[in-house]
Amino acid sequence: MIYETEHATTYLYSGPVSICHTEVHLTPRSGPGQKLLSHSLEIRPEPAYSVTREDYFGNEITCFSIQESHETLTVISKSEVEVLVEEPPALELTPGWEEVRDEIRGRTTEELFEAAEFTGRSPMVRVTPEFARWAGPSFAAGKPIAEACMDLTHRIFKDFRYDPRATTISTPVEEVLKIRGGVCQDFAHLMISGLRSMGLAARYVSGYLKSGEKTRGAEASHAWCAVYCGEFGWLEFDPTNDLMPGGEHVTVAYGRDYSDVTPVKGVAIGGGEQLIHVSVGVGVRG
Amino acid sequence: MTAIEAGEGLNSAWRYTPRAGFHDEMFAEPGKTRAHWRALAAVMNGLGPAGLDERWTEGRRLLHDHGVTYNVYGEQADGERAGEGGAGGASRPWPLDPLPFLIEPAEWAGIEAAIVQRATLLDRVLADIYGPQTLLRSGKLPPELVLEHPGFLRPLWGAQPPGGRWLHSYSVDIARAPGGKWWVLSDRTQAPSGAGYALENRLVSLRVLPDVFRGCNVRRLAGYFHGWRDALRRLAPKAENPRIVLLTPGPLNETWFEHAFLARYLGFTLVEGGDLTVRNNRVFLKTLGGLLPVDVIVRRQDDTFCDPLELRPDSMLGVAGLVEAVRAGNVAVANALGSGVVESSAYSAFLPVLSRHILGEELKMPNIATWWCGHTAAREWVLANLKNLVIKPASPAVMFEPVFGAKLTASGRAELVGKVRANPGAYVAQEQVALSTIPVVGKAGSGGKLEPRHLVLRVFAAATGEGWAVMPGGLTRFTSGADSLVVSMQRGGGSKDTWVLADKPEPAFSLLRPAGAGLEVNRATFDLPSRVADNLYWLGRYVERFEMQVRALRAAPPRLYQDADPASRAALNVCQRVLSKAVHLENETQPSMLTEKDVVELVAGEDDAAKQRIGLRGSVREIHRIAWLLRDVISTDSWRVLKQLEQQFSATPAPDALLMNWTQDLLDRSVLSLAAFSGLATENMTRGHGWRFLDMGRRIERAVQTIQLIRRGLGFDAREAELGLPTALEIADCSLTYRARYRNTMQADLAFDLLLLDEGNPRSAAWQFAKLFEHVEQLPESHPPAGHSREAKVALRMLTATQLVEAGELARADENKRLARLDEFTFQLLMDVTTLSDTLTRVYFTHATQSRQISSR
Repeated sequence: MIYETEHATTYLYSGPVSICHTEVHLTPRSGPGQKLLSHSLEIRPEPAYSVTREDYFGNEITCFSIQESHETLTVISKSEVEVLVEEPPALELTPGWEEVRDEIRGRTTEELFEAAEFTGRSPMVRVTPEFARWAGPSFAAGKPIAEACMDLTHRIFKDFRYDPRATTISTPVEEVLKIRGGVCQDFAHLMISGLRSMGLAARYVSGYLKSGEKTRGAEASHAWCAVYCGEFGWLEFDPTNDLMPGGEHVTVAYGRDYSDVTPVKGVAIGGGEQLIHVSVGVGVRG
Repeated sequence: MTAIEAGEGLNSAWRYTPRAGFHDEMFAEPGKTRAHWRALAAVMNGLGPAGLDERWTEGRRLLHDHGVTYNVYGEQADGERAGEGGAGGASRPWPLDPLPFLIEPAEWAGIEAAIVQRATLLDRVLADIYGPQTLLRSGKLPPELVLEHPGFLRPLWGAQPPGGRWLHSYSVDIARAPGGKWWVLSDRTQAPSGAGYALENRLVSLRVLPDVFRGCNVRRLAGYFHGWRDALRRLAPKAENPRIVLLTPGPLNETWFEHAFLARYLGFTLVEGGDLTVRNNRVFLKTLGGLLPVDVIVRRQDDTFCDPLELRPDSMLGVAGLVEAVRAGNVAVANALGSGVVESSAYSAFLPVLSRHILGEELKMPNIATWWCGHTAAREWVLANLKNLVIKPASPAVMFEPVFGAKLTASGRAELVGKVRANPGAYVAQEQVALSTIPVVGKAGSGGKLEPRHLVLRVFAAATGEGWAVMPGGLTRFTSGADSLVVSMQRGGGSKDTWVLADKPEPAFSLLRPAGAGLEVNRATFDLPSRVADNLYWLGRYVERFEMQVRALRAAPPRLYQDADPASRAALNVCQRVLSKAVHLENETQPSMLTEKDVVELVAGEDDAAKQRIGLRGSVREIHRIAWLLRDVISTDSWRVLKQLEQQFSATPAPDALLMNWTQDLLDRSVLSLAAFSGLATENMTRGHGWRFLDMGRRIERAVQTIQLIRRGLGFDAREAELGLPTALEIADCSLTYRARYRNTMQADLAFDLLLLDEGNPRSAAWQFAKLFEHVEQLPESHPPAGHSREAKVALRMLTATQLVEAGELARADENKRLARLDEFTFQLLMDVTTLSDTLTRVYFTHATQSRQISSR
């Protein structure tokens, strides 16, 4: 399947911004299951300085600064991505979750060393007994890891309500656990906190979702998580939609949490009040 | 153990009992000093306790005059300090003990080698963490220790710091255990502090104990600082004459004094994050003259706060875009951003292995035994042996005060065990060291009695072209009590100068550079950040405003007791009206005669917010506050003058009977202090932008005050104004000139001419305008393509107005006996002066525009 995505972000300020430094994670990464065919980034006004490089996690990142006075900033990212449509693996065949946990602790291979990056506390993820207690019921002794993760995915979908007004960008994940509501970013952080508190490796995935009647999170940028499952590698789970991505999700970037892969972030000098408008469109080519 | 009598040590005038079970630095055994202390002991015997105390009074005065302080954070838990006004960021005088800590040459050589080895090792560890990470992959360093450390800055991974070096300065706390061996307690790799205090300690002890110093062959510190400065210069990516700035979090930081002191000593510009900006991926300093490129940033700010874009987004102290400029190699930061990741006690558990692995050497100075609880075996051992251990955080991710296992209750221990088991990687356990002791002079002078205190020595190293240079000295800090083992300036500990002894006298350090390394003549003294210009301008204004208050108050006392005399009544009226606005007299709405009580209260009373009264004490404090912000740019002498002024005003007033006399005396001395301050500025300050803004502040304020003296003090009733003329002339310090010109004939037009129009009189308004015009013509933004700048036009308009008006016109009353023309004329001048001040603010001081975060979900 080939998707055409368009992700537009517009900032409107009540006063002039004299300078702004911005960093964007908007280029879909290529990897197992997907291939980037083309990408373009349109920035208005024209940046005085711009550089594109790979970040610590191998995502493409663009840093730019605008040095002329402006009251509107627009960033439009367009891409064509080929996504493999895959059947999810047989969950019952994945190794027992304790086995994977102990393997991560042992850290004998390069792959396991890379997983170590996604096992601990990070700016928006907590590793605490409280999260272990919450996630625990999904992790019966000897349960295949992917089954346990799917169970947790299902519980989040069932027990938490999707409510954009319940949280903001800065709501801590402990709070999400209490208020039992939020949006895709919150659910991803919640699930990752649960998994890491169980001793597993889980990373945050940011991307897009083809809009459908049953799915949520397609109107803006979407987020879900990936879990290290031993010989099965990294398997993905989307707690917002109670499913494992398999053809309708486009991965843009991954990191420890949202703070590593924020789609657009920046610092502006001046500007007064600001209004942000974000729109995401995902279409199928041909 | 008995007190010392005499012998190979101190004579019977001194009493000291070392603590049993600890290594004492001065005494090998009671009564017997160690060999390298004998020269000092001999001097102490010669001086006697009284002689030492006398010299030390001088030492304390120097520290006070130099304004050596450190800031105390937050509220103190223990009650004894709360009373000292120690709440929220108060600054404390720096506690220095008169007796130095002596270290013999052979011992120092060992310390030096160990510190160089450790600095080298930590630098190599950093290069691995931010590069191939082989130490993490092999498990020689547990990955979670690094990966979960908030100081591991992923945006810096793969960055190439200049010369491949991450550390440029390094400090380490070491202590001596019973048996005499030194142990490493902790490392500082981010922004090591204390070197400036060590230098200040030296400056004071040199002044107070010069004879002892010379007699002991003490190694000097200046060479270390110059070497460090040269090394920082060489870090510049390309510039031949690099611009180096010292980045400080600001005056509320614990060691702000040191930032200002070092910036001055090393000749760097002291900047806050807001003074810097990134354009085209280069870092610039915002100065009056525009943006100037910065080549090297010596940072005294934690790295996570340095860039709100890529590091902590909630930081208000950072420079957006700095990380990208660093990555591109366009600016060097020392220490490199990210070097805080090895600043953790947990590393001590792994350094012995890392030293063997990386350097192929054993550690030359051992760490105190350290266990990282992230490893199961270590954790179980720690939990079984808690009572002998101190528990500390493994990284700043989890912050808490060190917990002494021996002091835990059963429930406290159970709680701690639970916490460690829940998150073992966050905890480190260390052995408790029985720190050595050293004799210390008591707070109120010795009286011959010395007390043992436990000490920790901080040693400093700086990267040089060849390797590392260790400062031959250090910062010795000691505990607040004999039985405490926690060394902390925050908790009332003290410090000592550290004398590293040499076998033979050291050649005096020469500031002259070797041949072939000459500098070019440079007349631009330094780049003035806009923020500093702003502060200088307001220092000028406050000093001048204060002077007017003092002069108005000084005119009152002689007349207070003759209120029947019409001339005296008129004079008091003038004082009253001038002061009513200047210092917020409470009864300003219904003017009554100024009384003795008013005068005393304004001089010696505290500000009273309820009555909206701000007296001289409040004004002096404000001057002192601004001067404090300018520590790195105003001269030590100027600082001392202002410091003395503040001291005079914080002194306790005399008893009632002498109160008026005390008050008058204080006012007289204030006028002298102000004259000294002006004199220093006039005679000693280089005519750069700094001086210009200070002087513009003074000129503007003096113009305002002189005009207000006429508008408020005299008023526009012709008859009343005439009665007040002698007092107005006196307050403006023009009586002498007037009498010399016109004898005793008091005539309004002559007085107005002298006060407002006479360009030859430095206290007239016209003189201020002439000077202001000269100043604004020299400002960096003052050259529009054609004609004068806006500031210059305003100054010129005021100057011309005073040149064109006739004095007689101003003194002419209308049919209502009102000086209407004077009112109109002075009102216009007042408007113009205000416009000039506003324009300067807008053009030159708008440096503090808020930045804000933008991000989207």
